[in-house]
Amino acid sequence: MIRSRRIALVLLLPGLVLLLGGVVIPALTMLLSPPRVPTGEVFDRLGRMLSDPYDLAIIWRTLRIGLTVTGLCLTLGFPTAYLLARSRSRWAGVLLALAIFPLLLSNVVRTYGWLVVLGRNGVVGQTIEGLGLADPAPQLLYTEIAVVLGLTQLFLPLAIITCYSAVAQVDANLDEAARGLGAGRIRTLWSVTIPLSMPGIAMAATLVFAGAVTAYTTPYLLGGSRQTMLATQLFRYSGVSLDWAAASATAIIMTVLVLVVYGVSTVLTRAKAVTR
Amino acid sequence: MKRSSPIAAVLAFLGYVVMIVPILFVVATAFTGGSSLTFPPEGLSLRWFEAALAYEPFTQALLSSLQLALISTVLALAVGIPATLAVMRGKVPGKSLVEGLFLSPLILPELVVGLALYQQFMLHLDMDNFNALLIGHTAILLPYTVRVTGASLALADPALEDASRGLGASPLRTFWSVTLPVLRPGIISAALLSFVTSFNNVPISLLLQSRDFRTLPVTMLDYVQQNYTPIVAAMSTLLLAGTVALAFAAERTLGFARIFGGINR
Repeated sequence: MIRSRRIALVLLLPGLVLLLGGVVIPALTMLLSPPRVPTGEVFDRLGRMLSDPYDLAIIWRTLRIGLTVTGLCLTLGFPTAYLLARSRSRWAGVLLALAIFPLLLSNVVRTYGWLVVLGRNGVVGQTIEGLGLADPAPQLLYTEIAVVLGLTQLFLPLAIITCYSAVAQVDANLDEAARGLGAGRIRTLWSVTIPLSMPGIAMAATLVFAGAVTAYTTPYLLGGSRQTMLATQLFRYSGVSLDWAAASATAIIMTVLVLVVYGVSTVLTRAKAVTR
Repeated sequence: MKRSSPIAAVLAFLGYVVMIVPILFVVATAFTGGSSLTFPPEGLSLRWFEAALAYEPFTQALLSSLQLALISTVLALAVGIPATLAVMRGKVPGKSLVEGLFLSPLILPELVVGLALYQQFMLHLDMDNFNALLIGHTAILLPYTVRVTGASLALADPALEDASRGLGASPLRTFWSVTLPVLRPGIISAALLSFVTSFNNVPISLLLQSRDFRTLPVTMLDYVQQNYTPIVAAMSTLLLAGTVALAFAAERTLGFARIFGGINR
Protein backbone atom coordinates (compact mmCIF):
# COMPACT_ATOMS: atom_id res chain seq x y z
CA MET A 1 0.00 0.00 0.00
CA ILE A 2 1.33 3.41 -0.92
CA ARG A 3 0.24 5.52 2.02
CA SER A 4 1.60 8.88 1.02
CA ARG A 5 -0.43 10.80 -1.51
CA ARG A 6 2.73 12.64 -2.52
CA ILE A 7 4.56 9.45 -3.48
CA ALA A 8 1.55 8.27 -5.48
CA LEU A 9 1.52 11.55 -7.41
CA VAL A 10 5.26 11.35 -8.07
CA LEU A 11 4.79 7.83 -9.48
CA LEU A 12 1.95 9.07 -11.68
CA LEU A 13 3.57 12.28 -12.85
CA PRO A 14 5.62 11.06 -15.86
CA GLY A 15 2.59 9.25 -17.25
CA LEU A 16 0.30 12.20 -16.70
CA VAL A 17 2.73 14.58 -18.41
CA LEU A 18 3.21 12.21 -21.35
CA LEU A 19 -0.51 11.64 -21.88
CA LEU A 20 -1.67 15.21 -21.36
CA GLY A 21 1.24 16.80 -23.23
CA GLY A 22 1.74 14.10 -25.84
CA VAL A 23 -1.81 13.07 -26.67
CA VAL A 24 -4.71 14.91 -25.06
CA ILE A 25 -3.65 18.55 -25.47
CA PRO A 26 -2.20 18.14 -29.00
CA ALA A 27 -5.32 16.22 -30.06
CA LEU A 28 -7.70 18.83 -28.64
CA THR A 29 -5.71 21.66 -30.21
CA MET A 30 -5.72 19.91 -33.56
CA LEU A 31 -9.42 19.15 -33.44
CA LEU A 32 -10.52 22.61 -32.28
CA SER A 33 -8.02 25.07 -33.74
CA PRO A 34 -5.14 23.64 -35.74
CA PRO A 35 -2.13 25.91 -36.40
CA ARG A 36 -2.33 28.21 -39.44
CA VAL A 37 -6.10 27.88 -39.65
CA PRO A 38 -8.42 30.80 -38.76
CA THR A 39 -10.59 30.26 -35.68
CA GLY A 40 -13.93 28.69 -36.48
CA GLU A 41 -12.78 27.40 -39.89
CA VAL A 42 -12.74 23.77 -38.66
CA PHE A 43 -16.40 23.93 -37.69
CA ASP A 44 -17.33 25.68 -40.94
CA ARG A 45 -15.68 22.82 -42.80
CA LEU A 46 -17.40 20.27 -40.60
CA GLY A 47 -20.77 21.85 -41.41
CA ARG A 48 -20.04 21.86 -45.13
CA MET A 49 -18.85 18.24 -45.03
CA LEU A 50 -22.02 17.10 -43.34
CA SER A 51 -24.08 18.59 -46.17
CA ASP A 52 -21.81 17.70 -49.10
CA PRO A 53 -22.85 14.56 -51.02
CA TYR A 54 -19.22 13.55 -51.71
CA ASP A 55 -18.19 13.71 -48.04
CA LEU A 56 -21.44 12.14 -46.89
CA ALA A 57 -20.78 9.23 -49.24
CA ILE A 58 -17.42 8.67 -47.53
CA ILE A 59 -19.00 8.78 -44.08
CA TRP A 60 -21.75 6.42 -45.18
CA ARG A 61 -19.26 4.02 -46.79
CA THR A 62 -17.16 4.01 -43.61
CA LEU A 63 -20.22 3.25 -41.48
CA ARG A 64 -21.49 0.59 -43.88
CA ILE A 65 -18.10 -1.16 -44.05
CA GLY A 66 -17.71 -0.88 -40.27
CA LEU A 67 -21.09 -2.48 -39.63
CA THR A 68 -20.58 -5.23 -42.23
CA VAL A 69 -17.16 -6.12 -40.82
CA THR A 70 -18.56 -6.14 -37.26
CA GLY A 71 -21.40 -8.43 -38.36
CA LEU A 72 -19.03 -10.79 -40.17
CA CYS A 73 -16.53 -10.88 -37.30
CA LEU A 74 -19.26 -11.79 -34.81
CA THR A 75 -20.86 -14.35 -37.15
CA LEU A 76 -17.54 -16.10 -37.72
CA GLY A 77 -15.88 -15.25 -34.41
CA PHE A 78 -18.51 -16.22 -31.86
CA PRO A 79 -19.00 -19.81 -33.13
CA THR A 80 -15.21 -20.23 -33.27
CA ALA A 81 -14.83 -18.89 -29.72
CA TYR A 82 -17.73 -21.06 -28.54
CA LEU A 83 -16.26 -24.25 -30.01
CA LEU A 84 -12.79 -23.44 -28.68
CA ALA A 85 -14.05 -22.59 -25.19
CA ARG A 86 -16.26 -25.66 -24.90
CA SER A 87 -13.90 -28.16 -26.53
CA ARG A 88 -11.85 -30.56 -24.47
CA SER A 89 -9.71 -31.54 -27.44
CA ARG A 90 -5.94 -31.08 -27.33
CA TRP A 91 -6.25 -29.26 -30.64
CA ALA A 92 -8.28 -26.45 -29.08
CA GLY A 93 -5.12 -24.89 -27.63
CA VAL A 94 -3.33 -25.02 -30.97
CA LEU A 95 -6.35 -23.56 -32.79
CA LEU A 96 -6.64 -20.77 -30.21
CA ALA A 97 -2.96 -19.93 -30.62
CA LEU A 98 -3.47 -19.96 -34.41
CA ALA A 99 -6.32 -17.46 -34.01
CA ILE A 100 -4.29 -15.18 -31.74
CA PHE A 101 -1.04 -15.37 -33.71
CA PRO A 102 -2.08 -12.98 -36.54
CA LEU A 103 -2.38 -10.21 -33.92
CA LEU A 104 1.41 -10.28 -33.63
CA LEU A 105 1.78 -9.73 -37.36
CA SER A 106 1.83 -6.35 -39.10
CA ASN A 107 -1.40 -5.19 -40.76
CA VAL A 108 0.68 -4.55 -43.87
CA VAL A 109 1.77 -8.21 -44.03
CA ARG A 110 -1.74 -9.52 -43.36
CA THR A 111 -3.42 -7.20 -45.84
CA TYR A 112 -0.77 -7.78 -48.50
CA GLY A 113 -1.98 -11.38 -48.86
CA TRP A 114 -5.22 -10.15 -50.44
CA LEU A 115 -3.24 -8.52 -53.24
CA VAL A 116 -1.97 -12.00 -54.09
CA VAL A 117 -5.42 -13.54 -53.73
CA LEU A 118 -7.51 -10.84 -55.41
CA GLY A 119 -4.93 -9.09 -57.62
CA ARG A 120 -4.59 -8.93 -61.41
CA ASN A 121 -3.02 -12.38 -61.70
CA GLY A 122 -4.39 -13.55 -58.38
CA VAL A 123 -5.77 -16.95 -57.48
CA VAL A 124 -9.43 -16.00 -57.47
CA GLY A 125 -9.28 -14.23 -60.82
CA GLN A 126 -7.35 -17.12 -62.43
CA THR A 127 -9.84 -19.62 -61.07
CA ILE A 128 -12.78 -17.65 -62.44
CA GLU A 129 -11.11 -17.45 -65.86
CA GLY A 130 -10.01 -21.09 -65.69
CA LEU A 131 -13.53 -22.27 -65.02
CA GLY A 132 -14.75 -20.13 -67.91
CA LEU A 133 -17.11 -18.18 -65.66
CA ALA A 134 -15.93 -14.82 -66.94
CA ASP A 135 -13.10 -13.73 -69.21
CA PRO A 136 -11.45 -11.50 -68.21
CA ALA A 137 -12.23 -11.99 -64.53
CA PRO A 138 -14.05 -9.06 -62.93
CA GLN A 139 -12.05 -6.47 -61.02
CA LEU A 140 -11.85 -7.74 -57.43
CA LEU A 141 -9.23 -5.44 -55.97
CA TYR A 142 -10.20 -1.84 -55.12
CA THR A 143 -13.79 -2.85 -54.43
CA GLU A 144 -15.78 -2.59 -51.23
CA ILE A 145 -15.78 -6.39 -50.99
CA ALA A 146 -11.98 -6.43 -50.94
CA VAL A 147 -11.91 -3.87 -48.10
CA VAL A 148 -14.54 -5.80 -46.14
CA LEU A 149 -12.59 -9.07 -46.54
CA GLY A 150 -9.31 -7.44 -45.53
CA LEU A 151 -10.80 -5.80 -42.43
CA THR A 152 -12.58 -9.01 -41.43
CA GLN A 153 -9.28 -10.87 -41.58
CA LEU A 154 -7.67 -8.12 -39.50
CA PHE A 155 -10.25 -7.99 -36.70
CA LEU A 156 -11.46 -11.58 -36.50
CA PRO A 157 -8.72 -12.59 -34.01
CA LEU A 158 -9.80 -9.76 -31.73
CA ALA A 159 -13.44 -10.89 -31.94
CA ILE A 160 -12.45 -14.49 -31.25
CA ILE A 161 -10.34 -13.86 -28.13
CA THR A 162 -12.86 -11.38 -26.69
CA CYS A 163 -15.78 -13.79 -27.22
CA TYR A 164 -13.60 -16.66 -26.02
CA SER A 165 -12.97 -15.09 -22.62
CA ALA A 166 -16.71 -14.28 -22.38
CA VAL A 167 -17.84 -17.84 -23.17
CA ALA A 168 -15.14 -19.34 -20.94
CA GLN A 169 -16.56 -17.36 -18.02
CA VAL A 170 -20.02 -18.87 -18.49
CA ASP A 171 -20.20 -22.02 -16.37
CA ALA A 172 -20.43 -25.02 -18.69
CA ASN A 173 -22.66 -26.69 -16.08
CA LEU A 174 -25.38 -24.16 -16.94
CA ASP A 175 -25.34 -25.47 -20.53
CA GLU A 176 -25.58 -29.01 -19.20
CA ALA A 177 -28.45 -28.03 -16.87
CA ALA A 178 -30.42 -26.46 -19.72
CA ARG A 179 -29.81 -29.55 -21.86
CA GLY A 180 -30.81 -31.77 -18.96
CA LEU A 181 -34.07 -29.85 -18.60
CA GLY A 182 -34.86 -30.69 -22.21
CA ALA A 183 -33.67 -27.64 -24.14
CA GLY A 184 -32.14 -28.41 -27.54
CA ARG A 185 -28.66 -27.36 -28.54
CA ILE A 186 -29.82 -24.19 -30.34
CA ARG A 187 -32.28 -23.29 -27.57
CA THR A 188 -29.53 -23.64 -24.95
CA LEU A 189 -27.22 -21.42 -26.99
CA TRP A 190 -29.89 -18.75 -27.51
CA SER A 191 -31.40 -18.66 -24.04
CA VAL A 192 -28.40 -19.45 -21.85
CA THR A 193 -24.94 -19.14 -23.36
CA ILE A 194 -25.39 -16.08 -25.60
CA PRO A 195 -27.27 -13.92 -23.04
CA LEU A 196 -24.70 -14.73 -20.36
CA SER A 197 -21.76 -13.89 -22.61
CA MET A 198 -23.44 -10.71 -23.93
CA PRO A 199 -21.05 -8.21 -22.25
CA GLY A 200 -18.13 -9.92 -24.01
CA ILE A 201 -19.96 -10.02 -27.33
CA ALA A 202 -20.81 -6.30 -26.99
CA MET A 203 -17.14 -5.59 -26.19
CA ALA A 204 -16.04 -7.56 -29.26
CA ALA A 205 -18.49 -5.63 -31.45
CA THR A 206 -17.26 -2.31 -30.06
CA LEU A 207 -13.58 -3.12 -30.56
CA VAL A 208 -14.12 -4.39 -34.11
CA PHE A 209 -16.33 -1.49 -35.16
CA ALA A 210 -14.02 1.15 -33.67
CA GLY A 211 -11.04 -0.54 -35.30
CA ALA A 212 -12.70 -0.90 -38.69
CA VAL A 213 -13.94 2.70 -39.00
CA THR A 214 -10.49 4.08 -38.12
CA ALA A 215 -8.30 1.58 -40.01
CA TYR A 216 -5.92 3.04 -42.54
CA THR A 217 -3.69 0.32 -44.03
CA THR A 218 -6.43 -1.94 -45.40
CA PRO A 219 -8.61 0.64 -47.18
CA TYR A 220 -5.41 2.21 -48.53
CA LEU A 221 -4.09 -1.05 -50.00
CA LEU A 222 -7.33 -2.82 -50.97
CA GLY A 223 -9.68 0.10 -51.58
CA GLY A 224 -7.32 2.34 -53.51
CA SER A 225 -8.65 5.73 -54.51
CA ARG A 226 -12.09 4.37 -55.35
CA GLN A 227 -13.12 3.15 -51.89
CA THR A 228 -12.12 6.14 -49.79
CA MET A 229 -12.91 5.80 -46.10
CA LEU A 230 -12.58 8.43 -43.36
CA ALA A 231 -9.01 7.40 -42.45
CA THR A 232 -7.69 7.43 -46.03
CA GLN A 233 -9.45 10.75 -46.62
CA LEU A 234 -7.91 12.17 -43.42
CA PHE A 235 -4.45 11.21 -44.64
CA ARG A 236 -5.13 12.72 -48.06
CA TYR A 237 -6.10 16.08 -46.49
CA SER A 238 -3.17 16.15 -44.09
CA GLY A 239 -0.38 14.34 -45.91
CA VAL A 240 -1.10 15.30 -49.52
CA SER A 241 -3.18 18.47 -49.86
CA LEU A 242 -2.16 20.01 -46.48
CA ASP A 243 -5.73 21.18 -45.89
CA TRP A 244 -5.58 21.33 -42.08
CA ALA A 245 -9.15 22.50 -41.56
CA ALA A 246 -10.56 19.63 -43.60
CA ALA A 247 -8.21 17.15 -41.89
CA SER A 248 -9.37 18.32 -38.47
CA ALA A 249 -13.04 18.19 -39.47
CA THR A 250 -12.57 14.61 -40.72
CA ALA A 251 -10.72 13.73 -37.51
CA ILE A 252 -13.65 15.13 -35.48
CA ILE A 253 -16.14 12.95 -37.39
CA MET A 254 -13.96 9.88 -36.83
CA THR A 255 -13.38 10.61 -33.15
CA VAL A 256 -17.06 11.30 -32.46
CA LEU A 257 -18.04 8.04 -34.21
CA VAL A 258 -15.68 6.04 -32.03
CA LEU A 259 -16.63 7.83 -28.80
CA VAL A 260 -20.33 7.29 -29.50
CA VAL A 261 -19.78 3.56 -29.99
CA TYR A 262 -17.75 3.25 -26.77
CA GLY A 263 -20.37 5.32 -24.92
CA VAL A 264 -23.33 3.27 -26.17
CA SER A 265 -21.57 0.01 -25.37
CA THR A 266 -20.66 1.18 -21.85
CA VAL A 267 -24.24 2.31 -21.14
CA LEU A 268 -25.72 -0.90 -22.55
CA THR A 269 -23.45 -3.27 -20.60
CA ARG A 270 -24.00 -1.24 -17.41
CA ALA A 271 -27.79 -1.29 -17.86
CA LYS A 272 -27.54 -5.02 -18.41
CA ALA A 273 -25.55 -5.48 -15.19
CA VAL A 274 -28.15 -3.48 -13.23
CA THR A 275 -31.20 -5.36 -14.53
CA ARG A 276 -29.67 -8.73 -13.80
CA MET B 1 -15.07 -31.83 -29.61
CA LYS B 2 -18.15 -33.77 -28.75
CA ARG B 3 -21.00 -33.59 -31.26
CA SER B 4 -20.35 -29.93 -32.04
CA SER B 5 -23.03 -28.33 -34.13
CA PRO B 6 -22.20 -28.51 -37.86
CA ILE B 7 -23.18 -24.88 -38.57
CA ALA B 8 -20.81 -23.55 -35.92
CA ALA B 9 -18.02 -25.77 -37.25
CA VAL B 10 -18.55 -24.50 -40.82
CA LEU B 11 -18.49 -20.85 -39.66
CA ALA B 12 -15.36 -21.46 -37.59
CA PHE B 13 -13.68 -23.14 -40.58
CA LEU B 14 -14.56 -20.15 -42.79
CA GLY B 15 -13.12 -17.86 -40.13
CA TYR B 16 -9.80 -19.69 -40.16
CA VAL B 17 -9.73 -19.60 -43.97
CA VAL B 18 -10.18 -15.80 -43.96
CA MET B 19 -7.57 -15.33 -41.21
CA ILE B 20 -4.84 -17.68 -42.39
CA VAL B 21 -5.08 -18.38 -46.15
CA PRO B 22 -4.02 -14.91 -47.39
CA ILE B 23 -0.91 -15.17 -45.18
CA LEU B 24 -0.06 -18.55 -46.72
CA PHE B 25 -0.31 -17.03 -50.18
CA VAL B 26 2.18 -14.33 -49.17
CA VAL B 27 4.67 -17.02 -48.13
CA ALA B 28 4.09 -19.04 -51.30
CA THR B 29 4.63 -16.05 -53.61
CA ALA B 30 7.82 -15.08 -51.79
CA PHE B 31 9.49 -18.19 -53.24
CA THR B 32 8.57 -17.48 -56.85
CA GLY B 33 11.22 -17.37 -59.55
CA GLY B 34 9.12 -15.01 -61.67
CA SER B 35 9.00 -11.25 -61.37
CA SER B 36 5.38 -10.52 -60.58
CA LEU B 37 2.77 -11.42 -58.01
CA THR B 38 1.41 -14.40 -59.90
CA PHE B 39 -0.12 -17.51 -58.53
CA PRO B 40 0.86 -20.30 -58.88
CA PRO B 41 4.49 -19.09 -58.55
CA GLU B 42 6.69 -19.43 -61.65
CA GLY B 43 9.34 -21.84 -60.41
CA LEU B 44 11.09 -21.86 -57.07
CA SER B 45 13.81 -19.44 -56.09
CA LEU B 46 15.20 -17.47 -53.20
CA ARG B 47 15.98 -14.43 -55.36
CA TRP B 48 13.33 -12.21 -53.74
CA PHE B 49 14.69 -12.91 -50.27
CA GLU B 50 18.12 -11.84 -51.49
CA ALA B 51 16.57 -8.79 -53.11
CA ALA B 52 14.71 -7.85 -49.92
CA LEU B 53 17.82 -8.15 -47.77
CA ALA B 54 19.87 -6.18 -50.26
CA TYR B 55 17.28 -3.42 -50.64
CA GLU B 56 18.64 -0.65 -48.48
CA PRO B 57 15.38 1.22 -47.71
CA PHE B 58 14.04 -2.02 -46.16
CA THR B 59 17.12 -2.89 -44.11
CA GLN B 60 17.50 0.70 -42.97
CA ALA B 61 13.83 0.87 -41.97
CA LEU B 62 14.04 -2.50 -40.23
CA LEU B 63 16.82 -1.18 -38.00
CA SER B 64 14.87 2.03 -37.39
CA SER B 65 11.73 0.09 -36.43
CA LEU B 66 13.63 -2.20 -34.07
CA GLN B 67 15.32 0.78 -32.43
CA LEU B 68 12.07 2.71 -32.05
CA ALA B 69 10.14 -0.30 -30.73
CA LEU B 70 12.84 -1.16 -28.22
CA ILE B 71 13.21 2.36 -26.81
CA SER B 72 9.48 3.09 -26.67
CA THR B 73 8.81 -0.25 -24.97
CA VAL B 74 11.41 0.50 -22.27
CA LEU B 75 10.01 4.02 -21.83
CA ALA B 76 6.41 2.78 -21.64
CA LEU B 77 7.37 0.28 -18.95
CA ALA B 78 9.41 2.85 -17.03
CA VAL B 79 6.49 5.28 -17.04
CA GLY B 80 3.67 2.76 -16.88
CA ILE B 81 4.73 0.48 -14.02
CA PRO B 82 5.02 3.27 -11.41
CA ALA B 83 1.68 4.66 -12.63
CA THR B 84 0.03 1.25 -12.29
CA LEU B 85 1.37 0.94 -8.73
CA ALA B 86 0.07 4.39 -7.86
CA VAL B 87 -3.39 3.76 -9.30
CA MET B 88 -3.82 0.32 -7.79
CA ARG B 89 -2.00 0.61 -4.48
CA GLY B 90 -2.22 4.28 -3.65
CA LYS B 91 -4.88 6.81 -2.73
CA VAL B 92 -5.09 8.91 -5.85
CA PRO B 93 -7.55 11.78 -6.09
CA GLY B 94 -9.84 11.44 -9.14
CA LYS B 95 -8.89 7.81 -9.63
CA SER B 96 -11.36 7.00 -12.42
CA LEU B 97 -10.37 10.16 -14.28
CA VAL B 98 -6.71 9.14 -14.08
CA GLU B 99 -7.52 5.64 -15.25
CA GLY B 100 -9.55 7.07 -18.14
CA LEU B 101 -6.62 9.28 -19.10
CA PHE B 102 -4.26 6.30 -19.15
CA LEU B 103 -6.60 4.40 -21.47
CA SER B 104 -7.31 7.41 -23.72
CA PRO B 105 -4.70 6.51 -26.39
CA LEU B 106 -6.56 3.24 -26.88
CA ILE B 107 -9.84 4.97 -27.63
CA LEU B 108 -8.66 7.96 -29.68
CA PRO B 109 -8.13 6.94 -33.35
CA GLU B 110 -4.38 6.46 -33.89
CA LEU B 111 -4.35 8.47 -37.10
CA VAL B 112 -5.79 11.39 -35.10
CA VAL B 113 -2.98 11.02 -32.54
CA GLY B 114 -0.40 10.87 -35.34
CA LEU B 115 -1.78 13.99 -37.01
CA ALA B 116 -1.89 15.85 -33.69
CA LEU B 117 1.75 14.98 -32.95
CA TYR B 118 2.80 16.02 -36.44
CA GLN B 119 1.10 19.41 -36.15
CA GLN B 120 2.10 20.23 -32.59
CA PHE B 121 5.58 18.76 -32.32
CA MET B 122 7.02 18.75 -35.81
CA LEU B 123 5.33 21.78 -37.37
CA HIS B 124 4.83 23.95 -34.30
CA LEU B 125 7.77 23.09 -32.04
CA ASP B 126 10.13 22.04 -34.84
CA MET B 127 10.93 18.75 -33.11
CA ASP B 128 12.78 16.12 -35.13
CA ASN B 129 10.75 13.16 -36.27
CA PHE B 130 12.47 10.53 -34.11
CA ASN B 131 11.51 12.30 -30.88
CA ALA B 132 7.96 12.91 -32.09
CA LEU B 133 7.69 9.22 -33.02
CA LEU B 134 9.05 8.23 -29.63
CA ILE B 135 6.44 10.34 -27.79
CA GLY B 136 3.62 8.96 -29.95
CA HIS B 137 4.69 5.32 -29.70
CA THR B 138 5.31 5.49 -25.94
CA ALA B 139 1.90 7.10 -25.41
CA ILE B 140 -0.03 4.45 -27.36
CA LEU B 141 1.89 1.67 -25.56
CA LEU B 142 1.04 3.00 -22.09
CA PRO B 143 -2.49 1.53 -21.97
CA TYR B 144 -1.05 -1.96 -22.64
CA THR B 145 1.50 -1.61 -19.85
CA VAL B 146 -1.05 -0.30 -17.39
CA ARG B 147 -3.67 -2.94 -18.23
CA VAL B 148 -1.41 -5.97 -18.44
CA THR B 149 0.76 -5.21 -15.41
CA GLY B 150 -2.41 -4.04 -13.62
CA ALA B 151 -4.03 -7.44 -14.24
CA SER B 152 -0.91 -9.06 -12.81
CA LEU B 153 -0.90 -6.75 -9.78
CA ALA B 154 -4.58 -7.42 -9.13
CA LEU B 155 -3.68 -11.07 -8.54
CA ALA B 156 -1.05 -10.15 -5.96
CA ASP B 157 -2.10 -10.05 -2.32
CA PRO B 158 -1.40 -6.56 -0.86
CA ALA B 159 -0.98 -8.27 2.51
CA LEU B 160 2.40 -9.57 1.28
CA GLU B 161 3.63 -6.03 0.77
CA ASP B 162 2.22 -4.95 4.12
CA ALA B 163 3.99 -7.88 5.78
CA SER B 164 7.29 -6.91 4.16
CA ARG B 165 6.88 -3.32 5.33
CA GLY B 166 5.86 -4.53 8.79
CA LEU B 167 9.05 -6.58 9.01
CA GLY B 168 11.04 -3.43 8.48
CA ALA B 169 11.76 -3.39 4.73
CA SER B 170 11.87 0.01 3.05
CA PRO B 171 9.27 0.76 0.35
CA LEU B 172 11.95 0.40 -2.33
CA ARG B 173 13.17 -2.90 -0.86
CA THR B 174 9.57 -4.14 -0.72
CA PHE B 175 9.09 -3.21 -4.37
CA TRP B 176 12.27 -5.01 -5.47
CA SER B 177 11.88 -8.17 -3.43
CA VAL B 178 8.11 -8.59 -3.14
CA THR B 179 6.11 -6.65 -5.72
CA LEU B 180 8.40 -6.96 -8.73
CA PRO B 181 8.70 -10.78 -8.70
CA VAL B 182 4.88 -11.02 -8.60
CA LEU B 183 4.63 -8.59 -11.50
CA ARG B 184 7.27 -10.29 -13.64
CA PRO B 185 4.93 -12.29 -15.93
CA GLY B 186 2.79 -9.19 -16.44
CA ILE B 187 5.84 -7.12 -17.26
CA ILE B 188 7.11 -9.66 -19.78
CA SER B 189 3.67 -9.80 -21.43
CA ALA B 190 3.43 -6.02 -21.50
CA ALA B 191 6.92 -5.73 -22.97
CA LEU B 192 6.16 -8.26 -25.71
CA LEU B 193 2.83 -6.69 -26.63
CA SER B 194 4.33 -3.21 -26.59
CA PHE B 195 7.27 -4.18 -28.75
CA VAL B 196 5.06 -5.85 -31.35
CA THR B 197 2.53 -2.99 -31.31
CA SER B 198 5.19 -0.35 -31.84
CA PHE B 199 7.07 -2.36 -34.45
CA ASN B 200 3.91 -2.89 -36.52
CA ASN B 201 2.35 0.52 -36.10
CA VAL B 202 1.34 2.39 -39.24
CA PRO B 203 -1.08 5.23 -38.35
CA ILE B 204 1.16 7.03 -35.85
CA SER B 205 4.28 6.60 -37.96
CA LEU B 206 2.65 7.55 -41.26
CA LEU B 207 2.70 11.33 -40.86
CA LEU B 208 5.79 11.45 -38.67
CA GLN B 209 8.18 9.84 -41.15
CA SER B 210 11.14 11.66 -42.62
CA ARG B 211 13.79 10.78 -45.15
CA ASP B 212 16.32 9.98 -42.42
CA PHE B 213 14.15 7.91 -40.13
CA ARG B 214 11.33 5.79 -41.54
CA THR B 215 9.73 2.70 -40.04
CA LEU B 216 9.48 -0.60 -41.89
CA PRO B 217 5.68 -0.98 -42.18
CA VAL B 218 5.34 2.51 -43.68
CA THR B 219 8.23 1.89 -46.07
CA MET B 220 6.66 -1.40 -47.20
CA LEU B 221 3.28 0.27 -47.62
CA ASP B 222 4.77 2.96 -49.86
CA TYR B 223 6.66 0.35 -51.85
CA VAL B 224 3.56 -1.76 -52.49
CA GLN B 225 1.72 1.23 -53.89
CA GLN B 226 4.44 1.86 -56.50
CA ASN B 227 5.65 -1.61 -57.43
CA TYR B 228 4.13 -4.97 -58.10
CA THR B 229 7.12 -7.24 -57.39
CA PRO B 230 7.31 -10.11 -54.87
CA ILE B 231 10.01 -8.30 -52.85
CA VAL B 232 7.40 -7.25 -50.28
CA ALA B 233 6.18 -10.86 -50.10
CA ALA B 234 9.74 -11.91 -49.26
CA MET B 235 10.13 -9.17 -46.64
CA SER B 236 6.73 -10.14 -45.18
CA THR B 237 7.80 -13.78 -45.00
CA LEU B 238 10.97 -12.82 -43.15
CA LEU B 239 8.89 -10.80 -40.68
CA LEU B 240 6.51 -13.73 -40.36
CA ALA B 241 9.42 -16.06 -39.53
CA GLY B 242 10.68 -13.60 -36.92
CA THR B 243 7.22 -13.32 -35.39
CA VAL B 244 6.81 -17.10 -35.26
CA ALA B 245 10.11 -17.36 -33.39
CA LEU B 246 9.02 -14.63 -30.97
CA ALA B 247 5.59 -16.22 -30.48
CA PHE B 248 7.19 -19.60 -29.85
CA ALA B 249 9.49 -18.17 -27.20
CA ALA B 250 6.56 -16.34 -25.62
CA GLU B 251 4.37 -19.43 -25.62
CA ARG B 252 7.19 -21.38 -23.95
CA THR B 253 7.78 -18.83 -21.19
CA LEU B 254 4.27 -17.59 -20.43
CA GLY B 255 1.61 -19.02 -22.70
CA PHE B 256 -0.46 -17.06 -25.19
CA ALA B 257 -3.62 -17.03 -23.10
CA ARG B 258 -1.76 -15.37 -20.24
CA ILE B 259 -0.20 -12.73 -22.47
CA PHE B 260 -3.45 -11.79 -24.16
CA GLY B 261 -5.59 -12.21 -21.05
CA GLY B 262 -4.73 -8.72 -19.85
CA ILE B 263 -5.72 -6.64 -22.87
CA ASN B 264 -9.37 -7.42 -23.01
CA ARG B 265 -10.59 -6.46 -19.63
